[in-house]
Amino acid sequence: MTWLRKRAWIYGLLLAVFTWWSMGKTEFEWSSFREFDDAVTFVREQFFPPSFDIAPNLIDPALVTLAIAFLGTFFALLSAVPLSFAAAKNTAANPVLYYLLRFFLSILRSIPEIVFGLIFVVVLGLGPFPAVIAILLHNIGVLGKLISELIEAADPGPQEAMKSVGSGRRIGNLFAVVPQIWPNVLSHYFYRFEVAIRTSLILGFIGGGGIGQKLINDFNSFQYSAVTVEVLFIMLLVIVVDLFGAFVRKRVI
Amino acid sequence: MIELDDVTVYYPKAEEPAVSGVHLSLYPGEFVCVLGPSGAGKSTLIRTINALQPVTEGQVLIQGKNLQQMPEADKRKWRSRAGMIFQHFHLIPRLTVQQNVLTGLFGKRRSFANAVGFFNESEKQKVRRVLEEVGLLDMAQRRVEALSGGQKQRVGIARALMQEPEVFLGDEPVASLDPGTARSVFGILKDVHDKQHLMSLINVHDVALARSFATRVIGLAGGEVIYDGPPDQLDNGNLERIYGKSIHT
Ligand SMILES: Nc1ncnc2c1ncn2[C@@H]1O[C@H](COP(=O)(O)OP(=O)(O)OP(=O)(O)O)[C@@H](O)[C@H]1O
Ligand SMILES: [Mg+2]
Repeated sequence: MTWLRKRAWIYGLLLAVFTWWSMGKTEFEWSSFREFDDAVTFVREQFFPPSFDIAPNLIDPALVTLAIAFLGTFFALLSAVPLSFAAAKNTAANPVLYYLLRFFLSILRSIPEIVFGLIFVVVLGLGPFPAVIAILLHNIGVLGKLISELIEAADPGPQEAMKSVGSGRRIGNLFAVVPQIWPNVLSHYFYRFEVAIRTSLILGFIGGGGIGQKLINDFNSFQYSAVTVEVLFIMLLVIVVDLFGAFVRKRVI
Repeated sequence: MIELDDVTVYYPKAEEPAVSGVHLSLYPGEFVCVLGPSGAGKSTLIRTINALQPVTEGQVLIQGKNLQQMPEADKRKWRSRAGMIFQHFHLIPRLTVQQNVLTGLFGKRRSFANAVGFFNESEKQKVRRVLEEVGLLDMAQRRVEALSGGQKQRVGIARALMQEPEVFLGDEPVASLDPGTARSVFGILKDVHDKQHLMSLINVHDVALARSFATRVIGLAGGEVIYDGPPDQLDNGNLERIYGKSIHT
């Protein structure tokens, strides 16, 4: 065969074995799909019609969710940008610090927000504040990695030019690198902002406030028609952030 | 005066030196073109002069002072007095022509003033003067991405001029340009050089350009200086020794 080498067949076989094994582990049953009907019925009968009358009460929790997501990711961005310069190979001043930072960022990144959330809800008490901290810490790790990789991929020419005019290292990096990576930093940022809205929902389930907390309370007390409205609010928030991100990016490019 | 005293450069892990035992004295007013085949060490040589490239043996002397041994602050000060022009321009994308030219001042100002972008009236006048000199005044507010190659290189020259340099270093400053544009950009370089009585060291691939503009030609091959003399004595025999094959000009 022209397109597929022998090795491709081996990879295909391995993939099939792994899929079969995963289905065993997760008790995956094709026959259960027949019960999907029940799910549809459940949603149709219990979730509809949505009780829109609770909408006014959701505005404040929705704004809390927006504020959690914004503050957590924005402070993360502010911390991640300078850290990224010290954690990028081409701009790091100190090799020891470089490895330490890389390690520190990957630790922050590998701990899910929900774990940070559980810890800070205990330490700081219930409410939106621990949710902000949880999103902040995890996103320093995520944005730190993404931004330092953007820095490493930046064209080294302008950096050399800044060096050749006698500029200091920091100012040189600032001017030679930031204009190059800025649009991509923004798109990463807005993506993380959007993800954070969904995350703050989950954090609400464990007492992190906002619309997620409302949702889990209504769910647990069988107020499914209220849950529908809450889900719509969340979708709206995500769409608004997405549109705003697109607008800002268009202005910047 | 700039002196290269037995300068040898090895890149890490390289068996052969990129530049080997080079002795040169460069004087104000000289417009020196460096010729040589690809890999001859032209870029490496030029970059030793503003310490972008450290030397392995020998020394680069700036007014008698060993550049390599200077504290970092003095190296920076020297770089700010040497304007460098690059083959691929190395302009800062997304900034305007004027903003790019202003970065030429960075070596002479405080970091804080650079970061906030505060420039005084005399500095602003200077940008206008420099832009006028390279014929780009009407494009001052344009983003550099929206320029042609020749215009970009004129921004590169303007940035170097902003430094009020004593020395011009050019690493194939016209190699990315078409022959006509190359000649006119070279002409601008030479004009500025003459007007400000600079010392220029410029790598070129084009022997004819070197012949028409240089006051002195250095031929490099295998990291060694093969020819050092006036352009009118650069005959075909010399060119053959530099390029290792016959060149008809
Ligand atoms: N960063 C580097 N690391 C290792 N070796 C290098 C490096 N830069 C250049 N060299 C080697 O040093 C020698 C001289 O290179 P240099 O770039 O100075 O030549 P050049 O005359 O400028 O060539 P060109 O005309 O192609 O630009 C070459 O053999 C090259 O392979
Ligand atoms: Mg070169």
